[in-house]
Amino acid sequence: MNLSEIWLFLQQGVLSGLVTGSVYALLAIAIVTVFKTTDVPNFAQGEMFMIGGYVALSLLIIAKLPYWLVIVLTVPIVALGGALFQRVVMERVTGSKGVGVQLVIATLGLAYTLKGLVRQTGLGDTPRSLPSLIEGDPVIIGDAFLTRLDVAIFVVAVMVMVLLYWMFNKTRIGKAMRAVGMNPRAAQIVGIRLSHIRMLVWALSGLISALAALLIAPKVLITPDIAHVAILAYAAAIVGGFTSLPGAVLGGFVIGILENLVGLFVSTNAIVVAPFLAILVTLIVRPQGLLGGKPQVKKV
Amino acid sequence: MKFLKPFTLAVALCASTVVLAQSEPGLTDKSIKLGVFAPLSGNSMAYGFDVLNAAKMYYDKVNKEGGIHGRKIELVIEDDRCNANDLLAAVKKLTEQDKVFMLNGGSCSGAVVGAREYIERAQIPYVMLNASGDGALYPPSKYIYGAFSISQRAVGGSMVQFAAEHFKGKKIGYINHDDAYGGWNLEAAEFQAKKLGVDLQVQSINPNLTDVTAPMLKIRAANPDVLIITTYARPVSLLVKKALELGWTKPIVIAVNGTADLKQLVENVGNKDAFKNVYLQEVMLDVAGGAKLKWVYDMYKAYYPELAAKPGYPQTYMPYGIPSAMAVVNALKGAGPNPTREKVLTALSNTKFDSGVMAGPIELTATDHAGQKSAIYLKFDGEHMTVIPGSYRSLWVYQPK
Repeated sequence: MNLSEIWLFLQQGVLSGLVTGSVYALLAIAIVTVFKTTDVPNFAQGEMFMIGGYVALSLLIIAKLPYWLVIVLTVPIVALGGALFQRVVMERVTGSKGVGVQLVIATLGLAYTLKGLVRQTGLGDTPRSLPSLIEGDPVIIGDAFLTRLDVAIFVVAVMVMVLLYWMFNKTRIGKAMRAVGMNPRAAQIVGIRLSHIRMLVWALSGLISALAALLIAPKVLITPDIAHVAILAYAAAIVGGFTSLPGAVLGGFVIGILENLVGLFVSTNAIVVAPFLAILVTLIVRPQGLLGGKPQVKKV
Repeated sequence: MKFLKPFTLAVALCASTVVLAQSEPGLTDKSIKLGVFAPLSGNSMAYGFDVLNAAKMYYDKVNKEGGIHGRKIELVIEDDRCNANDLLAAVKKLTEQDKVFMLNGGSCSGAVVGAREYIERAQIPYVMLNASGDGALYPPSKYIYGAFSISQRAVGGSMVQFAAEHFKGKKIGYINHDDAYGGWNLEAAEFQAKKLGVDLQVQSINPNLTDVTAPMLKIRAANPDVLIITTYARPVSLLVKKALELGWTKPIVIAVNGTADLKQLVENVGNKDAFKNVYLQEVMLDVAGGAKLKWVYDMYKAYYPELAAKPGYPQTYMPYGIPSAMAVVNALKGAGPNPTREKVLTALSNTKFDSGVMAGPIELTATDHAGQKSAIYLKFDGEHMTVIPGSYRSLWVYQPK
């Protein structure tokens, strides 16, 4: 490998990593938001992302709707699905004094249900794509290049992150979500309805999942097994800090870039191992994650 | 009275042979019971439903022509759903409950491999339907024969042969999976490359990879004359798309593993320019529905007129059922008028015939139980296919370790 090749690999690896990393970051935000407000790691996050793609595909192929309408409908449908799951299943488990593990099992149940549903439709028998949001000549940056779709994915993902940042910091509902995440009992005392907020958080998770699916499906294609992308989002959340939203964003970019650099400079076999290695190193060196703040100790 | 002695002996010998034949499970003097199975329901139905229909129509044809040494073939059919547990349950039921003489079935390698141990214990001859089943064929088991479509080893070997011969490739890029399938096709590809003196540049990827920038960029940097892709359908789409994005203009050869739904492949790639220099591996001797295979499709229409009228039928892999059924029929014929399982196994190990369906002859020996090792290649422009003359054979042979 000569110097110019190394330079090209480095540029392309970082740029392409930022694109896929932005989608990991979005999903990591969804995971962290649900975890912070409900104390539940959502193991159906990948399937929520996958179902976002298949809802869009169904509206496009079966209902034969125009793609702009598909986008407009997919996001609220998946968000509503997330909210319903919290209201119908999670709230009842919590209400019946269910322990944490029961809530986790409930998310696993959701994961299998969604996968089973997709398999029943017959749409999952072959990898499928959604129309690309944007076409055109590639964009050259240095020696590397990105497609217009890559640029659109990155820009839209970053815009969504900025909007989420604004929502969490500037709106009443966002502040209420953060308050529930910090101290649910205190939030309840000041008049915040926990069930309402948790439902909204699950809806937000559905919304982000649908957006991520619409953004990246034309690039990675969708199958019922594409939910494994959530593992990378989990890696992003752990590397960035499981309790930190900016950490989730940073973690997403780190994982995306790491995958590419490992593939280019080490071995393509090692790409799938890289995120897990990153988790291990993070847990050993900085267990709270890059932006996770001080390790938290809960009084029991 | 002297003449009576040899006569009595001859009668006794014949009688004992008949008794022996009758004692074989699933065998009467009028019928031979075969246990057949395939995915007849579920997500993987496309891999075997019509393949089994093709085998059924061939067995029916044999019966109409008088059967095998006067015996009619009687089929007991089970659904294996391409699932290891269901397939094993089907094999056990057919062997123990239905007491069939031999087995003919299985369309998915992973599921078939799981039944190997039981089949060896039950000592029942088993001929796969259309599973490639490398895991059950190597090292060879006395009771199992298969790969009538093509083995994964032969996939890799044949592709390297095509790339080296047709494109005069001296350096060949090779992207496979890092799982057992990928390992098998790479093993034969490396063997073939060594024989031909070709430099093989390999990138092995996980089937779940979301970003194929790294493997494609490394392949481009290696600057091979031609690129071979042996991955499943999703990575094929991603790699062909990425190749276009990276300005790759050299030939790309896609293995049969990733070409089940070409229309969807083109849709997924999203740009027909990506198919300007793309070639597809095909294990039959012509394109599906082509002139050389017309007899199979005509036969299907005659046997299943209602099914043939439905959209999507016959399914892509339908003709694969014929060579498998032919191998069973030939072995039963070769076993003679008083067949035993042992005689059938001996006949199977001396099989050589041209199926008139597959790209190469079906050859089974005592040391190699995989039937088909050749492929033809098609130029594919995203819409039309043109057959490249000739068939290309894998040279890899199993070497006991």
